[in-house]
Amino acid sequence: MIGFDVVGFLISWLTLFGIYAILSLTLNLESGTAGITNFGKVVFYGVGAYISATLTTYLILMLNGVDVSETPPYDIRGVILLSELGKKNPLLNIGLLVSSLVIAFVMSGALGYLLTYPILRVGPAFVGFTLLSSGELLRIFLQHYEPVGASKGLMAIPTPFEWVADSRVREAAYLGLVLGLLALTYVVTHKLVNSPLGRTLRALRDDEIAALCLGKHVPRIKATVLFIGSGFAGIAGVLLSYYLTSVNPNMFVPAVTFNVWAMIILGGFGNLRGSLLGAAVITFVDRILTFVTPQLGITIISPDYLRWVVVGLLIVVVLLVNPRGILPEKPIKTPALDVMWEELRGESK
Amino acid sequence: MGERLIPGIQQAVMNAFQYTLFYLIFSLPLTLSYRTTKVINFAHANFITYGAYVAIFLHGVLGLNNMSLAVVIAFLVTGAIAVINNVFVFTPLQKRGSSPAIIMISSMGLWIAYKYLLYMITDVAHYYTTKNFVSYGRITYSDVPRGSIGGIEFSQALVASLVAALLIVALLYLLLEKTKIGRAMRAVADNPLLAEISGIPRSLIVNLTWLVCGGIVGIGGVIWTSFSGAITPEVGDSMILQVFTVGFIGGLISLLRTGIGAALIATIENVGIAILNTYFGTPVSFRPFLTFATLITTLIAFPPLGAGGGLPYRFLRRGSKK
Repeated sequence: MIGFDVVGFLISWLTLFGIYAILSLTLNLESGTAGITNFGKVVFYGVGAYISATLTTYLILMLNGVDVSETPPYDIRGVILLSELGKKNPLLNIGLLVSSLVIAFVMSGALGYLLTYPILRVGPAFVGFTLLSSGELLRIFLQHYEPVGASKGLMAIPTPFEWVADSRVREAAYLGLVLGLLALTYVVTHKLVNSPLGRTLRALRDDEIAALCLGKHVPRIKATVLFIGSGFAGIAGVLLSYYLTSVNPNMFVPAVTFNVWAMIILGGFGNLRGSLLGAAVITFVDRILTFVTPQLGITIISPDYLRWVVVGLLIVVVLLVNPRGILPEKPIKTPALDVMWEELRGESK
Repeated sequence: MGERLIPGIQQAVMNAFQYTLFYLIFSLPLTLSYRTTKVINFAHANFITYGAYVAIFLHGVLGLNNMSLAVVIAFLVTGAIAVINNVFVFTPLQKRGSSPAIIMISSMGLWIAYKYLLYMITDVAHYYTTKNFVSYGRITYSDVPRGSIGGIEFSQALVASLVAALLIVALLYLLLEKTKIGRAMRAVADNPLLAEISGIPRSLIVNLTWLVCGGIVGIGGVIWTSFSGAITPEVGDSMILQVFTVGFIGGLISLLRTGIGAALIATIENVGIAILNTYFGTPVSFRPFLTFATLITTLIAFPPLGAGGGLPYRFLRRGSKK
C-alpha cells in the first residue's frame, strides 16, 4: 500500500460513480417505479458511447483537413493524428461534447421508444428477454462494422478538456461535468417519480390491468418512460467514452446491465436515493479491487471473475433476505401527504 | 438445381437439421419447466454450458472420452443445479409471494454467478493441467459411431443428437402421457392449487421437473462438445436468443409448437443466412439478426398472451379517453 494516491482514487471513483449512478437512477425509474424489466440497459449505454466516440474522432480529423477515407480514426495513423490534433481547439472539443450529449440522448431515447412497440404489449419476461438479446445483437453488429473499428473499437478519443495541461485539473474538470449531469438526472427522475406520472407508473407496476381499466394508456406511458431512461443512459455512455477515451464492443456485455441491476436492488427498488447508494457502494468496491489487484500479483483465479460471482450472488441474496433493499421505497411526496403527516403529528393549526 | 443458385445450400440444409435437433433438446425443457413451475429461468443458459464443461473436464482433466459416461454425469450435475436453484431461490421467493418479475431477476443473478463461477473453475483447472479450457476444441468420442450412408455424412454430433432427441421426445411423451408422475406434472402445470388439494405433492413434482429439465439440457451440452470446434464458457449465452425464441414460438406452453419452432428457427438461420450471404454478402455471424427478426415478428403477430403476464393490448384499438 505504498504511495496510495488518495486524490486520484477519489476522482476515479467519483467519476465512475457518476456514470453508473445515471444508469441506476434511470433504471430505477424504469424498473423500480414503472415495472419495466429492462435487461437491455447496456444497449442504450453502448449506443451513446459509440455515438460520441464516432462523432468526436471523425469530426476532429475531418475539421483538421484529414481525409478519413485514407486515414480512418481506427487506423494506427489515425490514432496518432488524433492525439496530436485533439488538444488544438478547446472550443471544438466543448462543442463536440455538447453535440454528442444531445445526439446521444435523442438517438438512444428514440431507440428505446422504437423497441417498445412490439415488446411492451407482452409480459415482463418477453420485454426483459427482447431487450437482453438486442444488447447481444448490438455487440455482434459493432464487432463487424468496420467504420467504428470493428472488434478493435475506437481509441484515443479526445476528451472535452484535452487542452488543459495539468492532468489532475483535467480529471477534476471532467468529474465536475459528470457530477453536474448526475445532478440533472437526479432532479429529472425525482420530479418524474413524485409527479402524477410517477403515481401512474407505480399503478402500472403494481397492477397493470387495474391501471388499464382506469383509463391509463399503458403502452404509451411505458414508451415515454423508456424514452427518458434510455436517453439518459445514452448520456452515461457519452461520459464513459470520454472518460476511458476508448470504446470497444466487449465493454458492452450483458453483465454491465446486471451490475446496474445489483445497484438498484441493493439500494432499494423504487427509491432514488437507494440507487445512488447502491451505485456508490458497488463502484467503490470496484475501484478498490482495481487498486488492490496489481498488488496481489498473479493469482490462480482472476479477481474479475470473483467480482462478477459476487455481483450475481448479491442480487439473489438481497432479493431473498431483504427484497426492499437498504433504503425501502417511500410514499410519493404530495401536498396531501404532507398535510396528513402534520395532522398525525398534531402540528396542524 | 438449388446448388447453382445458392452455393452451399446442401450444407446449409444439413446444418439446419443438425441445429433443429440441438434447439429441440435445449428448448423443450425450457417450455416444460416454465409451464410447470411458472419461473422464467434465465439460468437456462448455464445448463448448456455446464453440460458441455462436464464433458470437457472429463476429457481434459481425467482423459476420458466416453460420451455415455459424460451424459450421465452431466444429467446429474445440471439437474442438481436446477434443483438447488429451485429449493434455495425460486421456492422461497414464490412462497413469499414475490412477483414473477422478481423471480426472473433472481434467475438473472444466478445466471451471472454460475457463469463466472465456471470461469473460475476453468482458471483452477488451467493452473493444474496447463490446458486451455477457455477455448476447447472439438472432442472425438470413442463410443459414438460415425460414417456415411447414401452419400450423407453422419458426424458423431449428428448421430448423438439424433439418438438423444428421439429418445428425449419419446421418453418425455411416455412420461407425461402414460405415467402417474407425468399426469401430476401436467396437473401442476394447469392448476397448481387444485393439484395440491387433490393430494399431489407439488414441491416434489416441481423439483422432479427441474431435475429432468436441467438434466436434458445438460445432455445437449455434452453433445454440443462433439459438434462445436471452439467451446467457451459463453457457449450457453450465445445460444440463449435462439433457445428462448423457440420457446416463445411455443408460447412457453405447447411442447409440439416448441418443436415446430426449433425447426423453424434452425431453417431460418441456416438457410436464410446462406441466401443472404450469397446475394448480399451478409457476414455469416449476423445469423442472430434473423432470429431476432423472427422473435419480434412472433411478438407482434402472435403475442403469447397469458404467458409471462402479457395483456391483450391487441384488442385495445385506440388510446383511452380522459
